[in-house]
Amino acid sequence: MNELVLEHSPLENLERCLERIQEREREINAFIELNPRAEEEARRAERHGGRLCGLTVAVKSNINVRGLRATCASKTLENYVAPYDAVAVQRLRSEGAVIVGMANMDEFACGSSGETSYFGPTQNPAAEGRIPGGSSSGSAAAVAAGFADAALGSDTGGSIRNPASHCGVVGIKPTYGLVPRHGLIDLAMSLDQIGPIARDVRTAALLLEVIAGRGREASMLDVQPQPYTRHLSADLAGVRVGFAREFEEVTSPEILGVIKRSLRRLEAQGAEVVEVELPSLEKALPTYYLIVFVEFFSATRRYDGRRYGYRIEEVCGAEVLRRIHLGSYISQKEYAGRYYRRALQFRSLIRRELLQALEQVDVLAAPTTPKLPHRLGESLTPLEMYAYDLLTVPANLAGIPAGVVPAGRVRGIPVGLQVHAKPLEEQVMLNVMLAAEGAE
Amino acid sequence: MRVKIGFEIHEQLATRTKLFCTSPADYRDAEPNTNVCEICLGLPGAKPMGVNADAVEGVVAIALMLNCEIVQEPVYILRKHYDYPDLPSGYQRTSMPIGRNGELAGVKIWEVHLEEDPGKYDPVTGKVDYNRSGVPLVEIVTAPDITSPEEARAFMRELVKVLHYSGRVRREGGTMRVDVNVSIEDGARVEIKNINSIKGLYRALKFEITRQKNLRRRGRAVKRETRAYIEEQMITRSMRTKETAEDYRYIPDPDLPPLRLTPELVERVRSQLPEAPHQKLQRFMQQYRISKDDAWAITSEPELADAFERVCKEVEPLRAAAFFRHIIKKTLNYHNLSFAESGITVEDIVEVLQAMSSGRLSQQAGELVIREVVQQRRRASELVQQLSRVDERSLERAVEQALAENQKAVQDYLNGRKEAINFLLGQVMRITGGRADAAKALQMLRERLS
Repeated sequence: MNELVLEHSPLENLERCLERIQEREREINAFIELNPRAEEEARRAERHGGRLCGLTVAVKSNINVRGLRATCASKTLENYVAPYDAVAVQRLRSEGAVIVGMANMDEFACGSSGETSYFGPTQNPAAEGRIPGGSSSGSAAAVAAGFADAALGSDTGGSIRNPASHCGVVGIKPTYGLVPRHGLIDLAMSLDQIGPIARDVRTAALLLEVIAGRGREASMLDVQPQPYTRHLSADLAGVRVGFAREFEEVTSPEILGVIKRSLRRLEAQGAEVVEVELPSLEKALPTYYLIVFVEFFSATRRYDGRRYGYRIEEVCGAEVLRRIHLGSYISQKEYAGRYYRRALQFRSLIRRELLQALEQVDVLAAPTTPKLPHRLGESLTPLEMYAYDLLTVPANLAGIPAGVVPAGRVRGIPVGLQVHAKPLEEQVMLNVMLAAEGAE
Repeated sequence: MRVKIGFEIHEQLATRTKLFCTSPADYRDAEPNTNVCEICLGLPGAKPMGVNADAVEGVVAIALMLNCEIVQEPVYILRKHYDYPDLPSGYQRTSMPIGRNGELAGVKIWEVHLEEDPGKYDPVTGKVDYNRSGVPLVEIVTAPDITSPEEARAFMRELVKVLHYSGRVRREGGTMRVDVNVSIEDGARVEIKNINSIKGLYRALKFEITRQKNLRRRGRAVKRETRAYIEEQMITRSMRTKETAEDYRYIPDPDLPPLRLTPELVERVRSQLPEAPHQKLQRFMQQYRISKDDAWAITSEPELADAFERVCKEVEPLRAAAFFRHIIKKTLNYHNLSFAESGITVEDIVEVLQAMSSGRLSQQAGELVIREVVQQRRRASELVQQLSRVDERSLERAVEQALAENQKAVQDYLNGRKEAINFLLGQVMRITGGRADAAKALQMLRERLS
């Protein structure tokens, strides 16, 4: 089965989503803007069909959707109406998806909590009073609250997987270069990927197969889209699942408990769990942030106040400003090749290590975040905030796929299992995720 | 005082599309901001397509013609950050060197790069036209081997000739930009920007060297800075203190994988290289047995040289060469046009040369035809008809008329003022519309007055 089967017609499906938005959006704040043409799109989907016919999708506000504002949840771009569709959005549209609206997010995707939006924080629909995670906070929250069947997010160091874990939904960061980024507003160009968020693995896989595959941009892999849904299978006979001791050292015991139970269930379904080593894991976070600061500084130079209304430094929030200043400082000192290029070398080291670990196994399982989401409004230092990303940045640094699937709850708060695979081996990753699904 | 001059020369490459997108690279007839897409406008989220392969090959060809080594290692595309209204993304993309260690006319070529052109900013209206944004440029960096404005001018002429011969750059003119570094006696290096002609280059250097010498004579130090050449006033003016490389915060562009100039690519480009100007010069001297001066003039532009070779299929080369050097080159120089811009065709030249050799057209009339072709954009065939020499009887009538109408000059001549005959000849030429054979007219006048 690689067709989507919705219970309702596209128009009815959209109506139901809009009703739930009507009921709870004031509380959740998952959207920055709703699509005034959603109904029109649903009618068109009814006429034309498509593999995603009538599927409602929330799009993160750093992805260009023609005619809607791609604000990046920043005052900097509050008046930027996208004049073009991102390639991923074009592909969704051509298969009959209906864009519900532009989802809230951390400002310019700089955050892991969903609290730094110029348009206000997003609530976690699955854990009241807690942060939804970020930076694709609105995308994950919209799916968790039933505001949309699925969402597009972007993941630079965990921005899809982190909120998917906290909100109890499925999120996928594909292999770097598998999904076109054209239309995705940059955080760190060498790490950013667009990916799907959905309530179940099958829907996420379907979205992925629609948006994946070669495009015209320079940094893409020259690959065909694969029919993941056709080959989805929860049969784990002979599948080797790796788990690194280093993960245990950094993860809170309660989360580790959920992950261990999940691994045992995979074993019960035929998988073999193998211990692997990732000795350089501790280098991942500093390497990641250095690359992000430098690339983000470069990416923000176009917001000079001449074309989009505001100079970014004059209107952005504290975290965005911190990254710009650090990036400016580092790249100025970079002339001697001291930082960015060294970080790229460390990145190669981490990539090698992960690929070596993956040589011994089919997938690498891991927790998604080291700790549970904090209460909304609780104040964290930047370093405490960055620590959320410890377990998600390795996949971005290595360019490998990683997906998150709900694995259980701690005191009612969702916890997601993260599954990594080798480059372009999304299929085996999805199969393991499918097997892990339904733990709740 | 010892002067050291080095150049950074930028010229647009004649590709069909821009460097990182498929918007047309030729924007000359386009309304402002119509030759653009989200990529060359640097809109949020837009990503570059792969580097335009024609542009890469163009730079390789030019580097080879400048006797450079082609870089074997991966060539990264860097982002050079600076803040200016014409830069849509706040950075300009520029490749690491593609060619290195070349040489032209005794000047060492340090590096040859590929770059993107920014948009065009008008400081008066405050408007920016992004049609130019993303057009590929070749950048050529020379060593500071040049020691005078005269040498600088000669070198630039030679370089422009090589660029034109490569067939890879835009020929419409007005797109070349030169940044010049000047220092005296190992003093601070001053960069002059905003130079876009060889004449401007010469004048800017003359001014700048005098300025620096005067400063030193008064015991003042020359500041390291960037100055702009102000064309109308022929002076340079301080723009800003010079950025150091670290201010540009260069990073390899994360959206672009590095270029790889494989030996196969380099060999393919090398095998298709056009003849270099000095090669053509040698060949013309041997093949057509023309003088070095003639060959030099004819090979000054590739289109002119091509026309010469075609004309030689119909006309004896020595006569053609003299005509090219003395008549066509002179007319082009006078009008400050390239041969390609002049509108002169091979057919025009053959027409004139044949009319001249059959005696129908005087040397002067031949020159007149070429001038009219350029000025009036008319064809030589009709002009030759009009300017063909008058026959003997008409000439006799014109002589009679000139004598009859100018009795005073006739009397002067007969009274011994021999130079009066020149006036009378002028009258004959006027009456015949310049179509008289001057020697014959003079002879007739002398006979009638003797």
